[in-house]
Amino acid sequence: MNSTKILIVDDELIMRESLAGWLERDGHVVETAASGEEALQKLKEYHFEIMLVDIKMEGMSGLDVLTKVKESDPDVAVVMITAYGSISTAIEAMKNGAVDYLLKPFDPNALGVLIDKITEHQAQAREILYHREQYKDRTRFESMVGQSKPMQEIFDLVQDIAPTNSTVMITGETGTGKGLAAKAIHTNSPRCDGPFVVVNCGAIPKHLMESELFGHQKGAFTDAIETKKGRLELAHGGTLFLDEIGEISMRMQIDLLQVLEDRIFYRVGGTQPIEAYFRVIAATNRNLEEAVKAGIFREDLYYRLNVISFSMPTLRERKEDLPLLTEHFIRRYAQETNKNIDRVSREAMDEMMLYEWPGNVRELENAIERAVVMSKSREIQPDDLPIFRPEHLADPHGNTLKEIEKTHIVHTLDENQWNIAQSAKILGIDRSTLYSKIKRYQISKPA
Amino acid sequence: MNTLSEHSILISPVEELAPELLNPVVRDIQKIFGYRTAIKSLLQDVEFALDTGRSQYHSTFILKKLAGLAPAGVVKILAITRVDLFIPILTHVYGEAQLGGKTCIISTHRLNEGLATSAVESFSRRVVKEAIHELGHTFDLRHCQDHACIMHYCRSIKDVDRKSDQFCRYCRILLADEIKRLSST
Repeated sequence: MNSTKILIVDDELIMRESLAGWLERDGHVVETAASGEEALQKLKEYHFEIMLVDIKMEGMSGLDVLTKVKESDPDVAVVMITAYGSISTAIEAMKNGAVDYLLKPFDPNALGVLIDKITEHQAQAREILYHREQYKDRTRFESMVGQSKPMQEIFDLVQDIAPTNSTVMITGETGTGKGLAAKAIHTNSPRCDGPFVVVNCGAIPKHLMESELFGHQKGAFTDAIETKKGRLELAHGGTLFLDEIGEISMRMQIDLLQVLEDRIFYRVGGTQPIEAYFRVIAATNRNLEEAVKAGIFREDLYYRLNVISFSMPTLRERKEDLPLLTEHFIRRYAQETNKNIDRVSREAMDEMMLYEWPGNVRELENAIERAVVMSKSREIQPDDLPIFRPEHLADPHGNTLKEIEKTHIVHTLDENQWNIAQSAKILGIDRSTLYSKIKRYQISKPA
Repeated sequence: MNTLSEHSILISPVEELAPELLNPVVRDIQKIFGYRTAIKSLLQDVEFALDTGRSQYHSTFILKKLAGLAPAGVVKILAITRVDLFIPILTHVYGEAQLGGKTCIISTHRLNEGLATSAVESFSRRVVKEAIHELGHTFDLRHCQDHACIMHYCRSIKDVDRKSDQFCRYCRILLADEIKRLSST
């Protein structure tokens, strides 16, 4: 259950204790204050999502507390607690910004329903805010596709690690689906109802990163015309996905390490510590161990992030998934473009199986998207696939199968530093066949 | 069921409890938590917790008293009473537990709501679910969002009937972690 930080303000000890105990069993983090003054002091020190405030208190009244809270932190949901005699005051409080009131003693169901309603509303507000502020790049969160052994191993791993709170590091080449794996961990975890917040560390300009992650207070810098929540805050109760973690600056590495250790941070220009509970999943296509050795990535942050790690297989390592993935993408793009296309030709599939797919699943997806758009028939032909089109190959005139084959062999040999055994394996032919093709096409090793 | 020994869960009925209610509780607690169980009444009555103004019994007081009476080596204590329980801020509670602590209590008072007196089996299922739920709290489990999980907080007695008598996958893992931690201390 996602815990909500709740402050109970009541001058009666027994009420504070019984309510705090009940809410803690419900999984919330609870603080108590015996007076309005103490509550306002605690509000300066911590961030609360909900306050339960008794209307009748010695000294500062519940209504006064409400007014002060709404001035300093309008996001806090304030619920008034009242006795029969003061319902009219409670209604007055709602006009002044209280979200609701509870008549004490209250039915446990009423309290539970109210807390759920408030947290749900706050989570929705965070989600909306996140989507509104999200970068325009389209993020697709479809389920991962694959029946190959490497993918089955990934599915098992995701299933095993999803229920835990451990930080996860996902490595793998560009386009292998690290983001999808992160999303799958989130959706299979107890945090699945919380937000999944993506920070593309490589896409956000370095000078904006601090504000993006931690948020800023109004007036913190020239462009800070209003207070803005950072992505760490927006990820509260959910999962923070730090994509391309290898790209963050040394300064941000220090700040991030601090947050991961303490779970407390400050908005830029802010003085109020903010606590946020989220699971962290990081991903990179870099070799971070080497980056640590080279002194460009902090060792302590590396170990903090690398609690559980796994590597996404390349498409080359799971070519048996190619037909399934192809079918998956054809179905999606045919539906999107409203075209009656449902398969690739045998010839096209044979060619696709021979291709190396250096851009992995993303390259395949792009290829299929384009092919669906370009195709004139119900079946995608080799010519519809950009990877086999002349402009994609080195030879602009290579539009015969033989020329395409020659180009592909040259490409594979170059990629593998002319290791014949390796190249033959990737091409799916034996070494003697490769030698004969090299001879036939008069391919020579570069000097 | 065993005689009282170390590393057991003590089931402590306050008043006499019909075997058709008590036996399933004993059986399922042993099965689910993996501890031996023992039955012993630690409290003869709970009159000390009576709030005369509300005609209800303050469950927190009862838990504190029970904790002071805990026999050495007992892992957890589950008290079962017929009286109506409350905590001051709420109108009533079906039960209360010390989160991650030693004691918990359930009341059968409202659990037969909507049932015919002959519906003993349904009543017994509710009692078992509440017992496991409150004991779950003593193993540091919080309420769970999974509606089928035994740790789900039920808004109504109908929800109690709807939820299963099992922990969800996540709560099972957390429970196993806590049992492991307890056995290593």
